[in-house]
Amino acid sequence: MGMTAKEPALELERITKSYPGVVALDEVNFTVHRNEIVGLIGENGAGKSTLMRILIGLIQPDAGLYRLRGERVTLRDPASAARHGVGMVFQEGSLVPNLSIMENLFLCHEIGFRKFGFLSQRAMRKTASAVLSLVKIASDLDTPISDTTPAVRQMVEIARLLWLSRLYHQENPVLVLDEPTTVLTENERITLFRILTDLKRQASIILISHRLQEIVENSDRIIILKDGKNVAELDARRANIADIENKMVGHSFATERYREDEQVEPGNDIVLNVRDLSKRGEFEPFNFSVRKGEIVSLVGLVGSGKEAVCRCITGLDKPDSGSVSLGGKKLAPGSPSETVRSGIGHIPIDRRSEGLALGMTVAENVNLLVLDRLKVAGLISPVREKKNADRLIQDCRIKTPSSSTMCANLSGGNQQKTVIAKWLSSKIRLLVLDHPTRGVDVGAKEEIYKLIRRLAGDGISMIIMCDTLEEDIGLCNRMLIMKDGRLTSEMTCARDKKPSPSNIIALIV
Amino acid sequence: MLEVKQDGPLDTQEGVPVRRHRGRIPAIYFAVTLLLVLVLLFTLGNRNFLSVYNLNTIASYSAILLVVGLGQMCTILIGGIDLSVGGLMSLVSVVFVVTFKATGAWAFPLCVVVGAIAGFINGNVLTRIKIPSFIATLGTGGILTSLALLVSPLPVDVPASSYGLLDIVNGTMFGIPNVLLLTLAVFLFFYAVLRFTTVGRNIYYTGSNIKMSWMSGINIVRTRNFAFMLSGLAAAIAAMMQSCTQFGGDPNLGKVYILQSIAAVVVGGTALTGGTGGAVNTVIGALTLGVMENGMNVVGVDAYFQQSILGIVIIVSVALTFDRSKVSMIK
Repeated sequence: MGMTAKEPALELERITKSYPGVVALDEVNFTVHRNEIVGLIGENGAGKSTLMRILIGLIQPDAGLYRLRGERVTLRDPASAARHGVGMVFQEGSLVPNLSIMENLFLCHEIGFRKFGFLSQRAMRKTASAVLSLVKIASDLDTPISDTTPAVRQMVEIARLLWLSRLYHQENPVLVLDEPTTVLTENERITLFRILTDLKRQASIILISHRLQEIVENSDRIIILKDGKNVAELDARRANIADIENKMVGHSFATERYREDEQVEPGNDIVLNVRDLSKRGEFEPFNFSVRKGEIVSLVGLVGSGKEAVCRCITGLDKPDSGSVSLGGKKLAPGSPSETVRSGIGHIPIDRRSEGLALGMTVAENVNLLVLDRLKVAGLISPVREKKNADRLIQDCRIKTPSSSTMCANLSGGNQQKTVIAKWLSSKIRLLVLDHPTRGVDVGAKEEIYKLIRRLAGDGISMIIMCDTLEEDIGLCNRMLIMKDGRLTSEMTCARDKKPSPSNIIALIV
Repeated sequence: MLEVKQDGPLDTQEGVPVRRHRGRIPAIYFAVTLLLVLVLLFTLGNRNFLSVYNLNTIASYSAILLVVGLGQMCTILIGGIDLSVGGLMSLVSVVFVVTFKATGAWAFPLCVVVGAIAGFINGNVLTRIKIPSFIATLGTGGILTSLALLVSPLPVDVPASSYGLLDIVNGTMFGIPNVLLLTLAVFLFFYAVLRFTTVGRNIYYTGSNIKMSWMSGINIVRTRNFAFMLSGLAAAIAAMMQSCTQFGGDPNLGKVYILQSIAAVVVGGTALTGGTGGAVNTVIGALTLGVMENGMNVVGVDAYFQQSILGIVIIVSVALTFDRSKVSMIK
């Protein structure tokens, strides 16, 4: 590498950030040196994105120090981060689709090109070409962003960040790339890393990726987070993937944590039968079944198609072919009301926007599916409603001052328990749980695991997708592994014969 | 069913169980306080404000506004709005008188049907053609206004010979004007539908979180159509009541009720974002507007100033009742 003494470009010291009920970051240290590529690794929920949001000023830490080029700074928002030469290329992209490449490049910072009160197109074009050549883009400057490939968009974003740092006279900008390769083809991926290595001469880069291989190959240093804490810092040249995996998921694979002793053997009757289900662009024809009381875990990377499979089962999406039957009865595709009526429940990943009516009370939320059962002479009885709600609150151990408390006032874990209680009160036979413990504190996690075990004990079948592999393995009876839209392997996870996470990671990646 | 297993008392686990971003006082308390303050101010301004005669005037003004407002509230509760109530009221007003001349009391059920159909069309423009209700009802409101003018470009009177039949609205029972009893009946109907029926509850769920409602199997198309039908129904009833009290139909009768009905709903504390509020709120809102309208005249506020004072009261009351902490961006 030939660099002399390593000079820190950006230092985050003892950064702490907590949300109601969860500590997202617990005294995390994070340093990036000049002309360095740092790989940031951790499972979902490890705190990577919270850390990066703090880094670019989107959110403020509760405690900790932020130093840039040796000086303490406070970044109030992404605009002030840009002025300090810090920026991020977002996973989902942050360009304006109907504006051209050039317009996006200079968006909100065009003032320097003003000549006699108008923007000088000539000066803008000249600068744009120069900036884009840094990232080896030769596209027409007037192409609208919506007509470009994801690779070009990414490069435009990188070019924009480089140009901004120059505009504000910041040497050695710090760029964050969040999962840059998920949307790229193999060739584009190779080009990206060639450009990044090239850019290293004038910038520092933070690379976030699920693909450990590319992190090891392309970064200088690797920092691993787990549960909001630093767990390791490695020299990339000496790192090996198995070692990283171990550090990522943690050694302590506590069996009792997932209440595995309460895991039940599934019954013999098949509850859910999925035949030749497919959706173009998402997943190939897919077959599987779930037995009574069985917990099946769907595992795979983002883009493996597991979310789309679940959306087709719950009726939120219409599959292109194939069928889903529950208890031998075929379900009409693409109709949530039919799937709900026939007994399929769904705990969505984003409970605030998809799982709850936040402005309504706990009682109103948990009773949503069973209003007909609470009626006396055709009208909903407030007495029965309260009774049913109180019973569910007790049953699911929802901590709330009363059944008439607004859901918005509950903690994340209790909101999640409210969503589970809602489905529990109705007679469901299959429950799809999409990341049921996301953003939930440890105590509430335990209770959610307990609830899942009790549901299985009552004969309710489940399909789960978890935040961590450890959680998937711990909870499920059987694991279906998906990759690139195909079901690639299946693994039983019997009570005493749980596979190890590192075995499975090899199958996923 | 699940067995209750409890390891310890619920409220002592994990320290504080609940976070409160701020102590929320229900919007209705603010709305009631505002109403009482206004009543107090106007009474101080003029003793006669609280006279039986004047209270009666306020009540009959508020009654019709309340009936339209209850319907409007349903569309606002689902997160929409109904700008066609004005056009519909105008249409129903003239249709009522024209058919009343021809068929007598049959005009009442006929107009109720007209209202329900108009609401059904509004709902379907929103749910099937997927046009936001603001635009959809702006459009249908225009059509309805034209229809009203086509039916009768000028006000039409009910012949004095059949005034007797209008006693359904204009008469009294046990000394109470029928207008108020009818309004009470409409209020009780809306109150019961929203509180005690599934479809009423679905209106709240849909307004509070439409995606969750859809994912939980609620028929969001039918729910929204129903809310707009309720609005059409209410507007039609209000228009008939108004036409009866003035013994004639008017193709321009509805205009003032478009914004007045929305104001009555929001002043009562029903949020324009949907999902919170209710029939009682709208009663307070309609009374507040009635008290303002009447009170400013009673204490002699300059007519040129009245609109601006009303505007200020609306802004202040929404500022007090609307929970802005729940919405990140106000549009």
